[in-house]
Amino acid sequence: MIELIHVFLARLRVMFKRNAVIRDIDEEMRLHVEMQQQNNIERGMSKEEARWAALRSFGNLGLMRDIGFESRGGRLSHGGNMIDGLLQDLKYGFRTLLKTRGFTLVAVITLGLGIGATSAVFSLIQGVLLSPPPYQKPEQLVLIEPLRADLQEPNTDGWPAAQWMEWQKQARSLEAVAAYGWTFNFLVLPDGSESIEGMWVTPDYFNALGLKPLLGRTFAESDAAQGAAPVTILGSDLWQRTYNRDPNIVGRTIQISRFNAPVTVVGIMPPGVRFLPSPGASKEPNYNVNAQVDFWLPAVPRPDRLKQPDWDVVARLGSGSTLGEAQAEVAVLAAGQAQQDHDFDGIVPHFQSLTGQMNKDGRRILLPLLGAAGLVLLIACGNVAALLLVWGLGRQEEYAVRCALGARRATLFQQVSTQSLLLALLGGALGVGLAVGIVRVFKVTAGHAIPRLDAVTAGWPVLLGGLGAAVLAAGLAGLVPALRASRLDAMQVIKSAGPKSSAGRGERRLLRLVVIAQTALTLVLLVGAGLLIRTMSNLAGVHTGYDTGHILTMSVTEVQGRQYWQGFHTQALERVSKLPGVEHAAFAWGVPLTGNNWPAAIDIEGQPPASKPSDRTSQPLRAITEDYFNLMGLAVLEGREFRSTDKDTGGPPNVAIVNQEFTDRYFPSAVAVGKRIWLNGRDKPSTEIIGVVTNGRTDDLTHVPAPEVYLPLWQAQAFSKHLVIRATADPRSLVVAVERELRSVDPTAAVENVKTLDQIRRDSLGSRAFAMQLLVGFAGIASILTLVGIYGVLSLSVGARRREIAIRAAVGAQRRAILLLVLMEGLRLIAIGVIVGLAAAIALSRVLTTFLFEVKPTDPATLIGVALLFVFVALLACWVPARRAVKVDPIAALRYE
Amino acid sequence: MTHQKADLLQGTLDLLILKALALGPLHGYGIIQRLRQISDDLLEVEQGALYPALYRIEDRGWVRSRWEVNETGRRAKFYRLTRAGERQLAVEEANWDRLALAIAKVRQAT
Repeated sequence: MIELIHVFLARLRVMFKRNAVIRDIDEEMRLHVEMQQQNNIERGMSKEEARWAALRSFGNLGLMRDIGFESRGGRLSHGGNMIDGLLQDLKYGFRTLLKTRGFTLVAVITLGLGIGATSAVFSLIQGVLLSPPPYQKPEQLVLIEPLRADLQEPNTDGWPAAQWMEWQKQARSLEAVAAYGWTFNFLVLPDGSESIEGMWVTPDYFNALGLKPLLGRTFAESDAAQGAAPVTILGSDLWQRTYNRDPNIVGRTIQISRFNAPVTVVGIMPPGVRFLPSPGASKEPNYNVNAQVDFWLPAVPRPDRLKQPDWDVVARLGSGSTLGEAQAEVAVLAAGQAQQDHDFDGIVPHFQSLTGQMNKDGRRILLPLLGAAGLVLLIACGNVAALLLVWGLGRQEEYAVRCALGARRATLFQQVSTQSLLLALLGGALGVGLAVGIVRVFKVTAGHAIPRLDAVTAGWPVLLGGLGAAVLAAGLAGLVPALRASRLDAMQVIKSAGPKSSAGRGERRLLRLVVIAQTALTLVLLVGAGLLIRTMSNLAGVHTGYDTGHILTMSVTEVQGRQYWQGFHTQALERVSKLPGVEHAAFAWGVPLTGNNWPAAIDIEGQPPASKPSDRTSQPLRAITEDYFNLMGLAVLEGREFRSTDKDTGGPPNVAIVNQEFTDRYFPSAVAVGKRIWLNGRDKPSTEIIGVVTNGRTDDLTHVPAPEVYLPLWQAQAFSKHLVIRATADPRSLVVAVERELRSVDPTAAVENVKTLDQIRRDSLGSRAFAMQLLVGFAGIASILTLVGIYGVLSLSVGARRREIAIRAAVGAQRRAILLLVLMEGLRLIAIGVIVGLAAAIALSRVLTTFLFEVKPTDPATLIGVALLFVFVALLACWVPARRAVKVDPIAALRYE
Repeated sequence: MTHQKADLLQGTLDLLILKALALGPLHGYGIIQRLRQISDDLLEVEQGALYPALYRIEDRGWVRSRWEVNETGRRAKFYRLTRAGERQLAVEEANWDRLALAIAKVRQAT
């Protein structure tokens, strides 16, 4: 016991009074030399001679002091305290890293790639998935979605007010129920109006979500009353971009289209408030659930529209009630309502957590990518661990000597760990630099691939991700080499004398395992990349049914009011058509691949009428002017095209053109032309089908053509629409002239979203393309790292087997046989890795299912192709060490050993 | 003079130092001298090996050191065995005996 205390005190002294301890040692050494000198004199030496002899027998006094100090459990340093031990290790680490620049460079770049990939993806995840929406306790918020009870088809309608108002009163598991809808509008500006997107909300909406205005107030019940002066709340983003954050805007009025009277601004919301999903509006142009809300309008259910399915509903769970309980309670309420009123039948409430719904798309793309980046990091760690291990071999003697001289194993362990930590931090710094660049590129290029990308910043999340990845990497790559250094058998190493350049059995086995693991992980990435490449190439070759080349589109909206609609569009089309370089021009509502159309429940001649609202199937409607089919390259198969006389002038009947798929589905055995459809119920005037047009993948390239109905724009009088132009040359060169012509008809017209159809097509594949590019990049990096790993391990093995190879050569082995010997060793590693990797890929590639098109996650051709390609390239990496083995000179090798 | 220092088995030095100190407190120089005397000049421990071992032994609590004045009036650091040191010495001596016995048996077998 007393000894323990003594030891403890001595250790403390070493730690905190290092100078005193070192002085002590110095003094002891000095006195020892003096005694030796005295003894030498007594033996008959001269004073000078005796002193030199004494010193000589002692060796280097300074070194002795250092070794002595380390034996006392101290960490060497010149003055200072415990922190200096670490500083000393760091200094030592830097020095050795500088001395071996090649090694350092390779290791740092390797780690930098892995860390860069990981922290770039992590910063996306942080910005998109981990940043909660600015609502109070967002985890309590649930979306109540109306689901068709038969689950046959998606329901795009919302809830009738009569239903949710009842829940508001009855449901005890819900603290608050609020309703909303998506809407858009235009800020009327003299030089081209600007579209703004917003929500109409029940006045208690802000309370239910826990949103407090930055300035002004939220809505009061009276704001939504019939005949009240119109008011609005502005989003922070609109406030900033249009009003330059002018606080005096509150209380003033603004002019927006679709409101005859000026609208008073009563409040400004804080930044970052985004939309809640409104599935019914998802086909509108500019609908983007992930965008920030520009404005809010107050709304209350009108007594005459209580049964219209107009509303999207959000609710806050009461404290203590779960989502499941609340859903069960509301389901019971809804069932009661359906029993009382047949119109409510067939729709059931489905609860979904708001954050879960918000993150669905982001999670779908980002989690697989994080996994992929993590694999790259693992592979990089594998290489660095191997490098450290091999590098440690060259320093075994140094470790052994220090060990023999009494350096403690913990000291060695710490020193080697510091070394790998230092490497990882350097790699981390490089990685963070890379990641900042990558995130910048993402923000420019991946807007269509990742929701809410605007919330991502290349700031501290990158740094944090990089640091985390670096520490992880240091642990993964440094642990084994550090353990090996500290467990070194000093006697063994010293006895074998001379620097040891080749690896022992244990090390080689370890390195082989690392390479097998790397190969397996790389295979997983390669298979993922391969599947996505095949998807993109399938999509590039898919038959769209229309021609996307040379087409310019822009959304054009007349904001002055209904009475100007006809005149504006007629004139605009006339003028644009006459521009040189314009082959065709048309207005269209529902341009391909924008996702835009007008889903409407229509009645079709010959089909039984729906017995209740929920049975009505909605069909995507589109509206176009005469030249559109020509322009897109769609052919009219039967009947006629639209004429400019198909106008809403009361005289001619309403007409429509349907596509082939519509005919096949609803008139499989009859002629569609001449049949009737009803847009507003069978008791209203019908619309006559006058033609059939070819199919096209207009909604989404990955979906087979769906039934479609086209209406003449002049009859449909669509408010939102695109101007579509087929150009004779580069469509982009027409933009300025077209805008000028439109402005000359009406300077306030909104002209936005100018894009070529090819661009729209690319954007519609954004998330796939992004996933593909990233996976291809990751797989490429992983492949290079793994090939380097295979090359390194095989080189090492050839080095270690030099003697064996020399003997084989000496007893007459053919060069071919030696070449094969090495290649087979490489092939064995690669084959095991590839087989393990294929198994892992089959298990993991399922996460990509939603991204794939016309290729299964376990597509044999991709799996086998990727595997063969990798084996081939990997054998090339084995070729160099194999050649070296062939060149071993038996005589030199045997003599050398 | 025959020096056998190169082939000192690891751990032997600890045994020697502990044994030297078992006969009474000594400074470092004294330990070397005493080992030489009692081994009839067969064993010469080098300073370079002695001090690291001595410090390590002290770090483990087997010896304790104190600055004192020696017989000739010179200041020196004296080391003395602790109770733990005595126990350790017994352990090491037993180990050594076992080893010597084992080696002897092996040698007689041939």
